[in-house]
Amino acid sequence: MVSNTKEVKDLDFDVTRSADEVRKLAFKDEVCIGCGICEKVCPVEAIELGDIGAIVRTEADEAKICVDENKCVLCGMCSVGCPVDALEFTIDGESIKNMDVYPQYLSSAEIDDETCIYCKACEMACPREAITIARELPERANLVTGEIEIDKDTCIHCGICEEMCPADAITMDSKIPTSSDPTVASDINVDQDKCVYCLICKKACPVDAIMAACRTCSYGEYDLDPADAEIKGSSFIDDDLCVRCGWCEEICPVDAAKVKKPFKGEVTVDQDKCSTCGACVDICPCDVYSFPQPEESGQIVDKVFKDETYCIYCGACENVCPVDAIEVKRTDVDYTPTKSKSWKNKMESLKT
Amino acid sequence: MELKVEQDNCLGCGVCVVACPVNVSISPEVSGGHGSKTEEVIMMVENGVIKLFSPEKCTKCGTCQMFCPTDAIWLE
Repeated sequence: MVSNTKEVKDLDFDVTRSADEVRKLAFKDEVCIGCGICEKVCPVEAIELGDIGAIVRTEADEAKICVDENKCVLCGMCSVGCPVDALEFTIDGESIKNMDVYPQYLSSAEIDDETCIYCKACEMACPREAITIARELPERANLVTGEIEIDKDTCIHCGICEEMCPADAITMDSKIPTSSDPTVASDINVDQDKCVYCLICKKACPVDAIMAACRTCSYGEYDLDPADAEIKGSSFIDDDLCVRCGWCEEICPVDAAKVKKPFKGEVTVDQDKCSTCGACVDICPCDVYSFPQPEESGQIVDKVFKDETYCIYCGACENVCPVDAIEVKRTDVDYTPTKSKSWKNKMESLKT
Repeated sequence: MELKVEQDNCLGCGVCVVACPVNVSISPEVSGGHGSKTEEVIMMVENGVIKLFSPEKCTKCGTCQMFCPTDAIWLE
């Protein structure tokens, strides 16, 4: 008889069956968001969602889901149902995501590098830290033009210019005066690559030893090449971690990010039932929830604030709320067509 | 996972009793820092230490563990 084998690696595991074809289900705990959809779609009740509230909030050494390898029939439904890539199902090494016969969610997240100005707002906002923006800034010297010179004969080496220079462009070689050389510095220099011709040194110099002029306003268009001011960069979205929450799209100032979510729905929070334990705030993979701060003392605010703009209607918050104050409804599931009626029924059953 | 307590570690501060969202839904006055009016709650401080009354009601959200200053209550 062919039986399944389970191989556990830390919190991750693989369930495999080797017969005519090798069917393998691989679970990545780090990617799992605790939505419990796998548990709901499993046709043989082989999957159990763990106590995700405690697991996430207390960093317990326990996987978020448990698959009973003796019950699992390696059908792959959980993998198709998983809205992130926490459960990957392969047949003979080929992911079923690449097989047209299996349905899959229509969801995506993209950043258009042509439009992106590499401001990094999305990188900061992404609740899953799935975005990396690499950028190359222009040389500061290429953005300014001017002239500067220190008259070393007039300079008394007071160090005021060095102390005040906002660009750290002036360096004075200080020394202790001796009877043979009764001076406080051996030299003073301006680094032309660092100087921004702000003229602070010139204005501050007590002996008018600095001659400096900024040419940017008057001769900038002749001296400077706009191409030198260009910020180059590239964006990267880690597909494994991305949950298509839409934070990047919302926060992007130039509409460079586009996100397509797999579900539509509605979230209801019963503010009377809520006891502000924060479990939803901690579990939500999309930072939908936050605790509102009153604008003035005495003002009564909602116990917990939600913005569904970022919600993927995964249902993790509903799973974790200890007082049943949250209801997540999924009204629409967007997936590629499948000929199998039972698979279609499963996908449709995600609507609540 | 199971809710566990270690009475030797407990200072009897009652933070877990107040923080527990299930306790609050059973006996709302605990959210104001008062003692529970009923033994129906999950846990209460009795004789200066924490005691579990209805651990089966615990939904394992981990709030008590997050707030306990002495690791006297946890999920395992």
